[in-house]
Amino acid sequence: MILRRWSVTLLAALVALLTIAPLLWMVSVSLMARGEAAQFPPPLWPASPTLENYRELFGNFGVGRFLFNSILVSTLATALALLFTIPAGYAFAKLRFKGRDAIFRMLIAALVVPGQIGMLPLFLELKAMGLVNSYAGALVPWLAGIFGIFLVRQYCLSIPDEMLEAARIDGATETQILRRIVLPILTPIIVTLALYVFLSSWNDFMWPLIILADQQLYTLPVALAANSRQNVQDYEIMMAGAVVTTLPVLILFLALQRYYLSGLLTGSVKG
Amino acid sequence: MTGLSIRDARKSFGATEVLKGVSIDVADGEFTVIVGPSGCGKSTLLRSVAGLEELTSGHIVIGDRDVTDLAPSERGIAMVFQSYALYPHLSVYENMAFGLRIAKADKDAIDTAVRRAATILNIEALLERKPAALSGGQRQRVAIGRAIVRQPQIFLFDEPLSNLDADLRVRMRYEFAELHRKLGTTTLYVTHDQVEAMTLADRIVLLRDGRIEQTGSPRELYERPANIFVAQFLGTPRMNIVAATAAEDGRAALANGLRIALPPLAKPLAVGTPLSIGIRPDDIAIGEAPDALTFSIRFIERLGGLATVHLGGREGDVMLACQLRDDGRFDEGDRIHATFPPALLHLFDADDQRLGKIGE
Repeated sequence: MILRRWSVTLLAALVALLTIAPLLWMVSVSLMARGEAAQFPPPLWPASPTLENYRELFGNFGVGRFLFNSILVSTLATALALLFTIPAGYAFAKLRFKGRDAIFRMLIAALVVPGQIGMLPLFLELKAMGLVNSYAGALVPWLAGIFGIFLVRQYCLSIPDEMLEAARIDGATETQILRRIVLPILTPIIVTLALYVFLSSWNDFMWPLIILADQQLYTLPVALAANSRQNVQDYEIMMAGAVVTTLPVLILFLALQRYYLSGLLTGSVKG
Repeated sequence: MTGLSIRDARKSFGATEVLKGVSIDVADGEFTVIVGPSGCGKSTLLRSVAGLEELTSGHIVIGDRDVTDLAPSERGIAMVFQSYALYPHLSVYENMAFGLRIAKADKDAIDTAVRRAATILNIEALLERKPAALSGGQRQRVAIGRAIVRQPQIFLFDEPLSNLDADLRVRMRYEFAELHRKLGTTTLYVTHDQVEAMTLADRIVLLRDGRIEQTGSPRELYERPANIFVAQFLGTPRMNIVAATAAEDGRAALANGLRIALPPLAKPLAVGTPLSIGIRPDDIAIGEAPDALTFSIRFIERLGGLATVHLGGREGDVMLACQLRDDGRFDEGDRIHATFPPALLHLFDADDQRLGKIGE
């Protein structure tokens, strides 16, 4: 029995190590001197750790600007997505209006269309609206994701109607019901959704690459990719950039992991 | 305090008419119970009074205000739901204070109202807890507390005891009666449980299929049911109904040829008129008597002090349930003598409607 428990722990540790090894090496390489990682066989640890790469990254390369762009776009994307997705999901679950189910079915059907297919038409639309090459343009696809609406709706379905009716009898308006009753109950799913949107928009490469032409507006992934074309050999700088890209979301995820997991679990258990 | 008047309420969901013209007057301070089998429209009626459903036609008047088109919060009602519908993220105190907070009431006024309600319901010790940490009975109390805090003109209860276990149901039933005595608020109470209806109501409204079958005090409905449905809905075990035809000398002939004496009717029946005879299981008299009929005992349900004895007629075509003290005198297969005291019989015509006895 004890043996079995230990072997499970050992196996889990091994898998965890395999998963985290590239990340650790990424950090390690980012601290190496220029050219050190290109040796064969590549060293695991820097001979003399240095922050030179980060200095280069924030100095000449100006990664601060891209970091700011990424934070701005992802934060706004998350805020706007929550603003539109939560009321929409709630309405699809709990309010009675004409065509509700038909519209929802259409949305769900649209989920099977890959996002890439919509990119060109969306680009043309935004071009007509004059939003190309702007933060606003980068934000548009995140405003009201169908998956988010679906997530909120499914969770809202588990809220009993009687609770909302009790609030109505207590004199609450529909907005007050949403704000004071529904939102607190939705907390786990809101955290889940916020993390999902933040991570996705943070890591998104394709759409910002298409919509943002001006270097000054680049988000981190786009800027790093552009940089990698110029400095193909500079693994150390590349890895320093990768650390800057990964670290913020990693910290965010670890900080909110508890809520995130409880959100996923509650959804499934109640579902 | 104020009465409630429902006037010709009709409600359809699509092509299905759920309420087919229901009119009820509830006097000021009266405890009225709407009872009926599931699907009879009783919950829809209550929700219409609350304003949670819109009537297709008809009016709802509370006091002297026509509230038919008012929002739920403007009607001066408070409702207790079957599922309690407490707000899970708020403490008991905040659950009860919610309505007053929405109404932007003064902080001290809220505190006074909440504590007063908590004292009435004996839940002062629970005020800081969340609903998840409460038992079913405590949740029910909090739901009632939330209603009391609103100081409504009318209390609406939607099957409030259905989710409780049998033991607690009996206790809460007593507490409802006690509470109503204390507060004296006009109350409309919906249930499918005839025992709740009989024990709690000043007046019962018996609903079937969207129509009122009978209205009256529990006693009236029990002693003078307007039709066979009412007669069999109230009382356990159900009233026995036996088909018969009117015979000579104020007697009736049962299907198997047996004859029994009928009570004198307000309008005498012509010989040969088909009718139904009803007798409650505890009204059947057992023992030797000049008029007694002989039955055999088919089956006994022993309930402890009482037993429900199922009697079969000579040819087995008449089955009667009979409630007796279980003193071990009877066994399955025994033959037994039974009489039907004419005064305790209920007679119904071919359309199941009550035939009035002299003096009714």
